[in-house]
Amino acid sequence: MPCEIKQKERVGVINPIFTCQPCGAQYASIGIKDCIAIVHGGQGCVMFVRLLFAQHFKDNFDIASSSVHEDAAVFGAVHRVEEAVDVLLMRYPHVKVIPVITTCSTEVIGDDIDGVVRKLNKGLLKEKYAGREVHLIPIHTPSFKGSMVSGYDVAVKDFVSAFAKKDQPNGKINLITGWANPGDVTALKHLLMEMSVDATVLFEIESFDSPLMPDGNAVSHGSTTVEDLAGTANALGTIALNRYEGGLAAKYLESKFNVPAIIGPAPIGIRNTDTFLWNLKTMTGKPIPESLVRERGIAIDALTDLTHMFFADKRVAIYGNADLAIGLAEFCLDLEMKPVLLLLGDDNPAYQNDPRIKGLKGKVDFDMQIIWNADLWELESRINNKEIELDLILGHSKGRFTSIDNKIPMLRVGFPVYDRAGYYRHPVVGYAGAIWLAEEMANVLFTDMEYKKNKEWLLNVW
Amino acid sequence: MEDRIEQLVDYIMKWCLWQFNSRAWDRKDQNEGVLTKTMQLLCEEPVALETPADRCYWVDAMLLARNFKNTYAWLATMDKKDIKLLMQGLKDRIDYLTITGSLNRELTDPIY
Amino acid sequence: MPYHTFKCSECIPERTKHAVIKGPGEDLTSCLPLGYLNTIPGSISERGCAYCGAKHVIGTPMKDVIHLSHGPIGCTYDTWQTKRYISDNDNFQIKYTFATDMREKHIVFGAEKLLKQNIIEAFKAFPKIKRMTIYQTCASALIGDDIDAVAQAVMEAMPDVDIFVCNSPGFAGPSQSGGHHKINIAWINQKVGTFEPKITSDHVINYVGEYNIQGDQEVMADYFQRMGIQLLSTFTGNGSYDDLRGMHMAHLNVLECARSAEYICNELRKRYGIPRLDIDGFGFKPLSESLLKVGLFFGLEKEAQAIIDEETARWKPELDWYARRLKGVKVCLWPGGSKLWHWAHALHEEMGVEIVSVYTKFGHQGDMEKGIARCEEGALAIDDPNELEGIEAMKTLKPDIIFTGVRPGEVAKKLRVQYLNAHAYHNGPYKGFEGWVRFARDIYNAVYSPIHQLSGVDISKDEIPTDTGFLTQALLSNVNIGQDETSPSEERPYTGDYDCVSKLRGKTYPKLERQPIGMG
Repeated sequence: MPCEIKQKERVGVINPIFTCQPCGAQYASIGIKDCIAIVHGGQGCVMFVRLLFAQHFKDNFDIASSSVHEDAAVFGAVHRVEEAVDVLLMRYPHVKVIPVITTCSTEVIGDDIDGVVRKLNKGLLKEKYAGREVHLIPIHTPSFKGSMVSGYDVAVKDFVSAFAKKDQPNGKINLITGWANPGDVTALKHLLMEMSVDATVLFEIESFDSPLMPDGNAVSHGSTTVEDLAGTANALGTIALNRYEGGLAAKYLESKFNVPAIIGPAPIGIRNTDTFLWNLKTMTGKPIPESLVRERGIAIDALTDLTHMFFADKRVAIYGNADLAIGLAEFCLDLEMKPVLLLLGDDNPAYQNDPRIKGLKGKVDFDMQIIWNADLWELESRINNKEIELDLILGHSKGRFTSIDNKIPMLRVGFPVYDRAGYYRHPVVGYAGAIWLAEEMANVLFTDMEYKKNKEWLLNVW
Repeated sequence: MEDRIEQLVDYIMKWCLWQFNSRAWDRKDQNEGVLTKTMQLLCEEPVALETPADRCYWVDAMLLARNFKNTYAWLATMDKKDIKLLMQGLKDRIDYLTITGSLNRELTDPIY
Repeated sequence: MPYHTFKCSECIPERTKHAVIKGPGEDLTSCLPLGYLNTIPGSISERGCAYCGAKHVIGTPMKDVIHLSHGPIGCTYDTWQTKRYISDNDNFQIKYTFATDMREKHIVFGAEKLLKQNIIEAFKAFPKIKRMTIYQTCASALIGDDIDAVAQAVMEAMPDVDIFVCNSPGFAGPSQSGGHHKINIAWINQKVGTFEPKITSDHVINYVGEYNIQGDQEVMADYFQRMGIQLLSTFTGNGSYDDLRGMHMAHLNVLECARSAEYICNELRKRYGIPRLDIDGFGFKPLSESLLKVGLFFGLEKEAQAIIDEETARWKPELDWYARRLKGVKVCLWPGGSKLWHWAHALHEEMGVEIVSVYTKFGHQGDMEKGIARCEEGALAIDDPNELEGIEAMKTLKPDIIFTGVRPGEVAKKLRVQYLNAHAYHNGPYKGFEGWVRFARDIYNAVYSPIHQLSGVDISKDEIPTDTGFLTQALLSNVNIGQDETSPSEERPYTGDYDCVSKLRGKTYPKLERQPIGMG
């Protein structure tokens, strides 16, 4: 069978591809304006996630901790949430939205954060903060379930369900981007603008890429508002680009408010971007304009220079968030490459039934393995045992040593990327993303040819 | 005398670490061990080096005595009796700053 | 008591006793903040957890060990590739991390079987590695898995492996410091004395509280070995598991980061009579005296002096070149625990910078005693700082540069304050004579950055000089050196290599001979 799908056989994880659920909820929270989350658990669950964001974006993002210590772990720690909410509100007068994000410890001890939110709403917020707009949102993200991907999915849904409110139709669409970079959001908004489609983008994170200003007053934070979230109930429809990162929210809006949902595919590569535009057109009735035909042409032109000359038959391993990894695999196939190994990192059995995975399984004509519940050892051990030979790796920075030690060129893509400068600024979606991905893949291969003196003279004339 | 003690205190505070063990009983031993040996070195008296602990106090004392002599010229003008008084005053002061007058609440924790 | 109340923290009065200003005539009996108390929830403190203190700070720098965390993947993932504790065995401990991947069913039914499978799998994946440390996490602590029993059973079944268990869940204490404590005590209780190391010298030390950040340990190990000392073990940077089991055989514990590792030195002193010598590896004078003390202890004073003379001759002219240009630079020295006292006075004395503030994220009052003792008058000392207080301090004190972690460094950047990484360094190592020059160079390059100068220009308001095509660090720094004051000819900027550590590996040293300890 050319393409097989299986689960990692080991029970343990050697070099994880993902971190745990609370990270995903925290990532969603920083996309919302005037929002500072409280993570209910040990301090490391926040400190390291903030470090991870700082590693990736080279900027600081504010997230608070309820700082659960020993006594609280034994006797229950909801009082730490009460205190945290008060302290946060006193010291951050702009804060309106406070998600309370659980972790493994506080889920195991069974802290009732829904109850404490009700209590605070009736007590503290009414008494001490009367007249101030404050929304407390419990988000359950035990670390022993799912991954940062499902944590993000859960949090987006919880934010939407907390605020979405039926009102007059607003004529907009909801665009749920999934776990994106600022560069992706810029590229998506560009496509929307060319299509003259008015959209609520969840989340508006272009401002994660923030300036250093002469007055020293800039901060990095998302800009999706409470009103944006409220309006999601009144949209023409929802497009969730990523099935596993925002799909839940799209389904919620569909079932609760009859907002039609299209879930996936992530517009990675030409074909998936075409699909995205088609979906926009179907949902809004707006035509695809000449400008995008031209933009697409520029991308096709760029790819044509690379595919059969450089990319054809190159063997690629891809790891990362499922929607991203699948999208990249599909794009690689269009580029004449062979994605021989696809690693999807959490234990979500639904991956096996994903139509895109089934598509790969049914149609790929070379040996390909798709591993779910995978870790990075699945990649490295195959290289060590010479089970696969690779020309290129696509994945985030946590796998950098697999590339370095095995001298396999790697394009950093996904989250986090901390060992290359400024990658969050570049899109992987849309036609712009297709160009960037293909050209960077080519440049990575070119650098490798030169470094290894492997037909480096080929590039003299091209 | 007091001014001279404060100069020596300042030197120890800025350059030394031996006076800041984590528990009061250790600070007592450290202050006693290092400062007694420093006094003995400054007064050219024999220094006991029988145990590893003695040697450890002694190496800190060696450096301290050397640095005191190099930094504070007035030390050379003092006779041994006065040096002993000075060093006793110094030890009392260091004991006060690091033990008896210390605000560090962990000094009395019975375990490390 | 000279407490300092931050405006942003007036509403949380318990914070008042966590900051002091060292005023004229203040000493430690009147000027010391509270420390190592539970964090105020929601204050956006900079503290981590006891798991990371045990695993990430102390455990993982051990280089020949499988580091397995018993819990969900996040703890492992988050403490992987976020520090720079390198090793001379190709960085195994940086590259590979292991999680048992505890799931919901394990929370309900227990995860001891899962743990056992994991241990076996991990040893199978890396057949050459025979040592393992298992770290408890919040989840495994709360469900009550008996990790020790599982480890014991595996060791009985696999006699060639040895496993160390560190029970330090994230919630165990106010900060990462709780984890430092737990792993220190666990190591001496479980492992010290279980291995007889080969003693090849009469001059045998453990180097304790040293994590080989960017090669610090290798620089210091080079000095020790040039002196003729056997470096039995390092706790824990670039350290070997079995060497550390033999710590009880050393003659002297040379202690660097007392914050994270004084516990084991205290216990080794109490249980085995091994003296504890606190040293500073940073700064020419403190480092020289530290080497001299170790030399004196073993009757190797001449050998130590020879190294000091050689290194000082080589590097002092370069330190002086920077010091001349750094005079008066205002520094917020905002590290985690020990560097506030390692660096405060040495930086001031040897580079001429002014330490306007010190803080400690996870230190205890003992660290503040040392830090405040080593500061000049007027310094603001903060315990367990939070984000708003840091911002307020920077706006008030207007430092030229802060030394802190990656993320607070980003906060500073936005306020137009330059930053150096105090935990992992910019271009370290910073220990050793050359390292101290590298530190000075990093400060110089940060403070006199032409881009930093540009960051303050508001093109909408300010006049823009149209005749300046570029500036350099030298052009910017020379403004601050008096016009008629020129550097003596031997002074020069740094001339070392980008990588000054790798070449130390595989170096040969004089053969050690056993002889009676000399009585200096």
